[in-house]
Amino acid sequence: MAHAAHTDAHHDDEHHGHHIIPFPLLAKVFGALVFLTALTYVTAVYVPLGPLEVPVAIAIACVKAGLVVFIFMGLRWDNRVNLLAFSICTIIVIVFISITLLDTEYRGDFGNVDELPLDDRMRMEQAVQDREAALLGSDAVVVDTTAAAPADTSATEQ
Amino acid sequence: MATKTAPSTAHDEHGHGNDHPPHLKHYFVSSDQQFDAAKLGMWLFLLTEILLFSGMFVAYIVYRAWHPEVFVKMSELLNPFWGGFNTIVLLGSSFSVALAIHFAQKNDQKKLVLNLAITLLCAVIFMVVKYVEYTDKFSHGIGMGQFFDPHGDYAQYAIPYAKQFFSIYFVMTGIHGFHVVIGMGIFTWLLIRARKGHFNSEYYTPVELSGLYWHLVDIIWIFLFPLLYLI
Repeated sequence: MAHAAHTDAHHDDEHHGHHIIPFPLLAKVFGALVFLTALTYVTAVYVPLGPLEVPVAIAIACVKAGLVVFIFMGLRWDNRVNLLAFSICTIIVIVFISITLLDTEYRGDFGNVDELPLDDRMRMEQAVQDREAALLGSDAVVVDTTAAAPADTSATEQ
Repeated sequence: MATKTAPSTAHDEHGHGNDHPPHLKHYFVSSDQQFDAAKLGMWLFLLTEILLFSGMFVAYIVYRAWHPEVFVKMSELLNPFWGGFNTIVLLGSSFSVALAIHFAQKNDQKKLVLNLAITLLCAVIFMVVKYVEYTDKFSHGIGMGQFFDPHGDYAQYAIPYAKQFFSIYFVMTGIHGFHVVIGMGIFTWLLIRARKGHFNSEYYTPVELSGLYWHLVDIIWIFLFPLLYLI
């Protein structure tokens, strides 16, 4: 009898531990995910958001990913250690991205003693060169191979 | 009462004498402990998957920061309708896999099998769309690395750094697609086992862990879709 009581208690524990996500909640989350997909499609394809386009698309993707992680994957009801591991991983990814961007976006600037960042100084020198070329009236404008080059030459023609 | 003590007496030869279901490994104290350990292990594996993909996302972010106009122009070549369609397909499969776990927990064998079959079907639809997209790209000479040689109407896209965009596109969607193919194998295996009645409310760990894997594949696509097709 004591043995049977022990098994019963054990079963209660299991039901407490394994949360069954209710069907209506799963259906609602699926509906929300489909709605957010439609929203990101409409905002990106039909609504001109300008500089906000990229942040809006990424914000919607983050909300969708959050819904999947916390509801579908059940992290909300899960053992806390899984949430801890997931959080550490997320922080590592953020550090990975931001430190890489600190390098690639400001490459050379850290040792630069100029008042201006390298990009700005290069742009200024390019503008000076273009102006000189225009004053000389020569066609020998140094054409950069980047896509920004056509815009620069049209500016000098004016 | 008799039904509950029956499994424990059947396993008395292991020398435990108490509650010992067939799926419980002898080195775990309880099914709960075994389940939690398996789930934590799966989460740790999924985190390495996140780190794998984050390397590729960093490549995307750096190249986009350097050449934003190339990325905007190249996304014209990717059809947002089919990308969106595939997003809905994967979200649907995530929903069905969550339902499969839900019905396994409720001992509903029929609905468990049905939802696993829906998940497998969605994975197949996703790969068919991806196959059509890839072959269309290849037919216009849009490949990765040295195979990037657009011709005909697509020659206008042969601008500097277009090659890098498509290398990033094919590597990211390719490795994601590879995960979907592995998922198809896993869900075929689960479907066979579920039809044999291997899973119930006491033991459904393989369904739960495969579900976690599948949700992660879905999350990766949630980010890939807007980054590659829309913006």
